[in-house]
Amino acid sequence: MSSRSQSVAPRRRRGEDLPAEGGPTRTRRERLRSIFDLLISLSASDLRLRHGRGPWVVVRWLLEPFALVGVYLVLLVAVLDRPGTAPGLSLACAIVPFQFVMSSVTYSMTAVSLRRPIIANMAFNRTLIPLSTAFTECAGFVASFAIIILMMAIYGIAPTAALLWLPAVIAVTIVFGVSLAYPASLFGLWFWELRPLGSSLVRILFFIGPGLVPLAQTGSGTSGYLKLNPLSGLFESFRSVFAYGRAPAAWQLLIPLGFAAVLLAAFLPLYRRDQREFAKVI
Amino acid sequence: MITAHEVGISFRFDRQRRVVTRSAARIRRAGPTIWGLRDLSFSLEPGEGVALLGRSGSGKTTLLRLLGGVYSPDAGTLAVRGNVACLLSTDAGLLPLLTGRENALHLSVLAGLTRAQARAALDSIKERSDLGDYFERPVSSFSQGMRARLGLAVQDERNTDILLLDEVHEALDHEFRQKLEERAHDLLAHGGIVVAAGHDHPMLRRLCTRALYLRDGRLQAEGSFDEIQRTYLDELHLEE
Repeated sequence: MSSRSQSVAPRRRRGEDLPAEGGPTRTRRERLRSIFDLLISLSASDLRLRHGRGPWVVVRWLLEPFALVGVYLVLLVAVLDRPGTAPGLSLACAIVPFQFVMSSVTYSMTAVSLRRPIIANMAFNRTLIPLSTAFTECAGFVASFAIIILMMAIYGIAPTAALLWLPAVIAVTIVFGVSLAYPASLFGLWFWELRPLGSSLVRILFFIGPGLVPLAQTGSGTSGYLKLNPLSGLFESFRSVFAYGRAPAAWQLLIPLGFAAVLLAAFLPLYRRDQREFAKVI
Repeated sequence: MITAHEVGISFRFDRQRRVVTRSAARIRRAGPTIWGLRDLSFSLEPGEGVALLGRSGSGKTTLLRLLGGVYSPDAGTLAVRGNVACLLSTDAGLLPLLTGRENALHLSVLAGLTRAQARAALDSIKERSDLGDYFERPVSSFSQGMRARLGLAVQDERNTDILLLDEVHEALDHEFRQKLEERAHDLLAHGGIVVAAGHDHPMLRRLCTRALYLRDGRLQAEGSFDEIQRTYLDELHLEE
């Protein structure tokens, strides 16, 4: 039997951390299991709601990065005349993590309103909503690795031992995407009329980082500033692992992680406080 | 058991008259704050069926959402002991693009079952909802009554101590309404609590012995169902 006691400043808030069944008698393991099951369930429903079902979803995930890399490749090689080394692979190494971050932010802005029916009818752990949105986008993120593999084959670049760093690089990318999902969810609720601007801000980060041109091809003065962009670390860490065959530099992982820590420290408590009122707002 | 002491729920608006959260109200240009419920104190004991009476906009749905944990109180204290099953709208939390089966799995996990338990319960939910082949179709193709039946079947899968009904029963067909009444009476007989709001007074009378009369978000009167119904209808006629 669950028990709930609420006041203006409750010790434990309903819909935030209260299991629907079992209450205080639940063990830590059971609570973690419950959170995991809820996360999987929210992600699975999100996947079907946003992306539909059937083979065309996978086709879309596979082709979308190709379209972007194709456009930027034409821009880089034909218009800007800055092909560099293996430009297709270099672009893919930026596009793959960027697409994940971008879709995590874009979909998080509507994550709460999309779940209006359940938020308005049931009490559940709403803190998991942005996390589940980022997890949903992991499916497309994983599928988009196909373009990197193809580009490596096209340019004849063999995989090296640096690939052992890939799990760490992927983990940092996901943590960064999750950390943006919380402020993005709040932004989407607070400034619903500015949602398109939110997406544009992330797109700007791509262009003021080494998205099109690798950091090695930029001037030494500029590259110092570009490193401060958290997306630079993600792009360059992918290039290190796939294109350059070396371990990522510490800054490539630590700067995005640092940003993620700051964002989570600032926005997670704010989100947890605000989620009590989501049912009123949506 | 449910105990409320001077409970209040407020809604903050911005200048565009949209409801906003407390944080958003600080950032955006704040508008008025309206209390949906104010100074509500009452206690509901095990085995009680309680009807919420009042005109539309009097705070019945807000109170049910508060009891269901959908809202948190902005003032006062609220203690709810027991597992709560909510049927607060005919949508019952269903996501229209998902099939009946997918929704049943999703809602069961949200209601507190593990995924393994939820999967094991799917056949039983399908049978009790009496949806047949519709169970495999998107909920967007369901009628309101079918949605309510699925919602009720999912909620029934858990051990429920408190059942909250908000006019949902009014969308159900005769046969399923009968099932809902039987379910509610069974819960009451086992020491559960039923709180129901709606305008179908004959059904509310069959389920509830007590009533709370809400007016403008405040508790106007409480007592036996017949007494409160008379008070409510008398005031309604006077106003007309």
